[in-house]
Amino acid sequence: MPNPIIEKISSALEISRQKLREAKTENDIEAVRVDLFGRKGLMPALSKEMSAVPSEEKREVGNALNNAKNEIQTLIDEAKAAISSVSSSASDEIDVTLPGRTWKLGKKHPVTMVIDDCVSIFRRMGFIVAEGPEIETVYHNFDALNTPPEHPSRDPQDTFYFPDGRLLRTQTSPVQIRVMESRKPPIRIVAPGRVYRRDTPDATHGMNFHQIEGLYVDRNVSLSDLKSILLAFAHEMLGPSVGVRLRPHFFPFTEPSVEYDFSCIMCGGKGCRVCKNSGWLEISGAGMVDPNVFKTVGLDPETWSGYAFGMGIERIAMIRYRINDIRLLFENDVRFLKQF
Amino acid sequence: MKISYNWLSQYTDIPENIRELADKLTMAGIEVEAIEAGKIIPDGIIIAEILERKPHPDADKLSVCRVNTGSEELQIVCGAPNCDAGVKAPLATLGTVLEDDETGKKITIKKAKLRGVESSGMLCSARELGIQDDHSGIMHLPKDASVGAPLNSIIKSDTVFDLEITPNRPDLLSHWGIARDISALMGTTLRFPDIKIPAVLKAEAAKYKDSVEVLNKGLCPRYTARIVKGIKVKESPEWLKERIQSIGLRPINNIVDITNFILMELGHPLHAFDLAELKGQKIIVRTASDGETMMTLDGKTHKLKSSHLVIADAEKPVALAGIMGGEHSGVTDKTVDILIESAVFFPPNIRASSRELGISSDSSYRFERGVDFEMAEAASNRAVSLILELAGGEIVSDLIDVKAPEREMPAPINCRFSSIRKLLGTEIDNQEIVEIFKRLGLEVSEINENSCRVDVPSYRLDIEREADLGEEVARIYGLDKIPALPVNAKMVSSLAEDAYLKLETAKNELISLGLCECMNYSMSDEKSAVCDGKFTKEDLVELKNPISSDFAYMRPSLFSGILDTVRRNISRKNLDLELFETGVVFCANKNLYPEERRECCIVLSGRKHPERFSSEKNETYDFFDMKGLLEKWLEHRRLENTGFRKADDPRFEKGSCAEIIAGGKYIGSFGMLAGNFTRGMRTQYPVYLAVIQLDVLLGLKDRNILYEPLSMFPSVARDVAFVADESLSHDKIVEFIMRSKPENLEKVELFDIFRDENIGKNKKSMAYSLTFRNSARTLTDEEVNKAHEKLRSQLASGLSVDLR
Repeated sequence: MPNPIIEKISSALEISRQKLREAKTENDIEAVRVDLFGRKGLMPALSKEMSAVPSEEKREVGNALNNAKNEIQTLIDEAKAAISSVSSSASDEIDVTLPGRTWKLGKKHPVTMVIDDCVSIFRRMGFIVAEGPEIETVYHNFDALNTPPEHPSRDPQDTFYFPDGRLLRTQTSPVQIRVMESRKPPIRIVAPGRVYRRDTPDATHGMNFHQIEGLYVDRNVSLSDLKSILLAFAHEMLGPSVGVRLRPHFFPFTEPSVEYDFSCIMCGGKGCRVCKNSGWLEISGAGMVDPNVFKTVGLDPETWSGYAFGMGIERIAMIRYRINDIRLLFENDVRFLKQF
Repeated sequence: MKISYNWLSQYTDIPENIRELADKLTMAGIEVEAIEAGKIIPDGIIIAEILERKPHPDADKLSVCRVNTGSEELQIVCGAPNCDAGVKAPLATLGTVLEDDETGKKITIKKAKLRGVESSGMLCSARELGIQDDHSGIMHLPKDASVGAPLNSIIKSDTVFDLEITPNRPDLLSHWGIARDISALMGTTLRFPDIKIPAVLKAEAAKYKDSVEVLNKGLCPRYTARIVKGIKVKESPEWLKERIQSIGLRPINNIVDITNFILMELGHPLHAFDLAELKGQKIIVRTASDGETMMTLDGKTHKLKSSHLVIADAEKPVALAGIMGGEHSGVTDKTVDILIESAVFFPPNIRASSRELGISSDSSYRFERGVDFEMAEAASNRAVSLILELAGGEIVSDLIDVKAPEREMPAPINCRFSSIRKLLGTEIDNQEIVEIFKRLGLEVSEINENSCRVDVPSYRLDIEREADLGEEVARIYGLDKIPALPVNAKMVSSLAEDAYLKLETAKNELISLGLCECMNYSMSDEKSAVCDGKFTKEDLVELKNPISSDFAYMRPSLFSGILDTVRRNISRKNLDLELFETGVVFCANKNLYPEERRECCIVLSGRKHPERFSSEKNETYDFFDMKGLLEKWLEHRRLENTGFRKADDPRFEKGSCAEIIAGGKYIGSFGMLAGNFTRGMRTQYPVYLAVIQLDVLLGLKDRNILYEPLSMFPSVARDVAFVADESLSHDKIVEFIMRSKPENLEKVELFDIFRDENIGKNKKSMAYSLTFRNSARTLTDEEVNKAHEKLRSQLASGLSVDLR
């Protein structure tokens, strides 16, 4: 009759084999290990009982105990390996909701977006872009544009001057003069660019802002042509339902001069807070080139006629994106820039 | 300019609908900036008559009145001092709701006991009704007001328009002027106010004949004066106060109120002098002598120059011509005899003086834009007529009228009907054009099938040429009736001439490289302008009249602006930055740069993948991210002879800076921003910045794209590794290999750099992979080995490296 310890060993072996076969998680395996090898486990307990084993049986029982320990350890290792191979095949299943690695997406400044949109619309209608310097002569910015010497816009209160008498252009209109000086009609240009007014920056004013100017000089250009180009622009820029309204106004370099409004894009012309209930959004000024301007650049007003128009880029950007403070455009907070 | 609806309706028939009138004005070029609707007087306020006034038995300040409402007699308790028997006053009847203008609080009139005495309503002051500001007592109504009628049957609530008048239309700066334009627009009849002037006392008329002397007729083309004696200066009647208050003026006394009224009625400024204060009973219109002083009626003393025109008496200036009267010559309560000035001054002179002296008045506003030469007389007549009516007195002089003899009459305009049609682009017929001119008060004659002659009245200073007539036709005909023709999209120049295309493309490239575009102001302060160490104060373009010293210079570079942008973002905890800006920069030193040129700045800083997790999240931008970005940009632009070379630059950390070469030219620099610029920025990440001369870059010629045939034969790879001195740069090695021209070598790529103690100090191990390929055949091992071996020995001898 074998020693009872050997029986205990073999039954423990049997149970452990069974458990390890069925183990599904690391925890199951760990439970087996703790049962056998833990501080209060079976194996340490049996080892203690060895002292009570008769000396002639010690060898046999000792061997059985060692074999059992080895076998269980091997089974535990195998079980662990089996489980980890299962779990590694499970990790091929990725969490598709983890954040993607961003391909950097750059953003155009809203002012540039509006300029580029304007330019592409006018290019489509046969215009090309012309440019001029930002430091201008009084002649190009005022005199040649038929601005009387006493006109308030010339005042150093409103216009930045340099010690040599030149100024920072207050409008893109001097580009009209430069273009008419340098090429023969027909002329069909737009001139986007930065302009300057001596305004202390606030929600609607800045020291510098942007305009785009248009000029078409040819034979038989009429107010009706001007109306059609502004209407076409409004449709391309803001949608086919937008209407255009011309109102008489005054600019020294056009006659007749008009201000033009687009029907309000928020309310469709019904009247809302944005258009101050008028149904119209004031955009800017335009008109037929004044005969005096033609004479100044050496073109005969009896032969040539033309229209000119301008608009404020920031104003359109502010309407389009409902920006309520022009200073945001020059703050460059990336949280702002990335919205466009 | 403020225009009262009620006042305006005196001179012509205007639309009853306020909105309709506003639209008509707007479409005629008179922009309505604001409409202030008048306070509506509730129907419960009626006209009542006080029949009897008795003191309140228990209150000193209260009276108990018996009041006739037309249908009954009521007892009303009133606290006003002026609720005497016989007075007609507004009564708020029981149930009427009154609203306080300031607080918006509403009260309902109820039967109440005031100190024990019953009161069945409230007698009202003008302020309580929101009509005027007067709260000194109850409002006294005209004696003939019919008792029991609602107050709003005699006092109309008014609406005030705030109009923007363009500088070319001074003729619109009055109620009469606006009425005149409305009559042209709508074809209504004009009604000029009645003027009654009695005969002049001939005996005195001769005495004042020569009392006006104009020494400078260039600056004062017309001066008229009239003398009225024995007037009584007092408070103006209600109607006059109501008129001038409706547009925001304060009543002063009948004489001053009359001159203000006529200014706003006819647009012609007048001035009334106290005759007793005019030394020598004379008016001399002259320029001031340099240093002469005078005190204006606002109590300020002005030191004058010889360019300033003054109205003087025999001794001293008594008014700044056309701008403001003098402190001591004006009408006071004691004034008995007055001289009424109605003049025309030279607009540029008034404008200049008004600006120099810092005084702007309703009068100078009109004179500097130009007043109607003919209106001078009509306005004087109107004033005299009103003064005699409201202040009594006798007119003792004819119109003393001193005119410049050589006054230029506006030349008649020859108007070709076809030109008008061509300008407007619409088929408006001759007759309609003539009709429009007539409605505008222009004189039309010599009409034939092609043209007509137009004579312009003295008040239309803006009409001088055919084009001006075209504008009038467009305005009255209606811009909304001009058709929008199909767009003419004529191409008159080629896209190759387009000045913006290159810049637009470059910006799009930078955006496609992942950068966000910024925009900074073009001006900066001196310290920022020179902070990059590239410019001195002498190189800066300085403004003569900056807003402040913070914006006194035109930026010589985008550097400091984009640095501000970085700083601002970092202070707002936006640490991950990929930015660029393009813009015009300015330089006064022609040896350095052109005055205006375009620059581009690029910034990289912070984490490359803040959106990811674990170790990836910690990857930050470094020198080679910026370099790689620039390389790709230059590659995309197909530029040749591109490269980078080590450089020293005060803007960047020593050893982390390079110059960018394209087309063989220096086009910019980049590197890690130097510590003195990043000091104080609350970021742990270095800032990489590139500054590029964009005009130079955009001016470079790009390489034509010519297709190269693809080899269908396999490539063979070999490696070469060696230990080299630290000083041997990568580009030197690649250049050496390319120059050695190993046979069939297609590509060289660095794949490893390694340093450790075994290699030695100041040494590095570098490994390159070489790709060999032939376009016509498959290479054999031997020939590749041969080329490989040859290159190895060339490297060993030519660059003194130790092969591994």
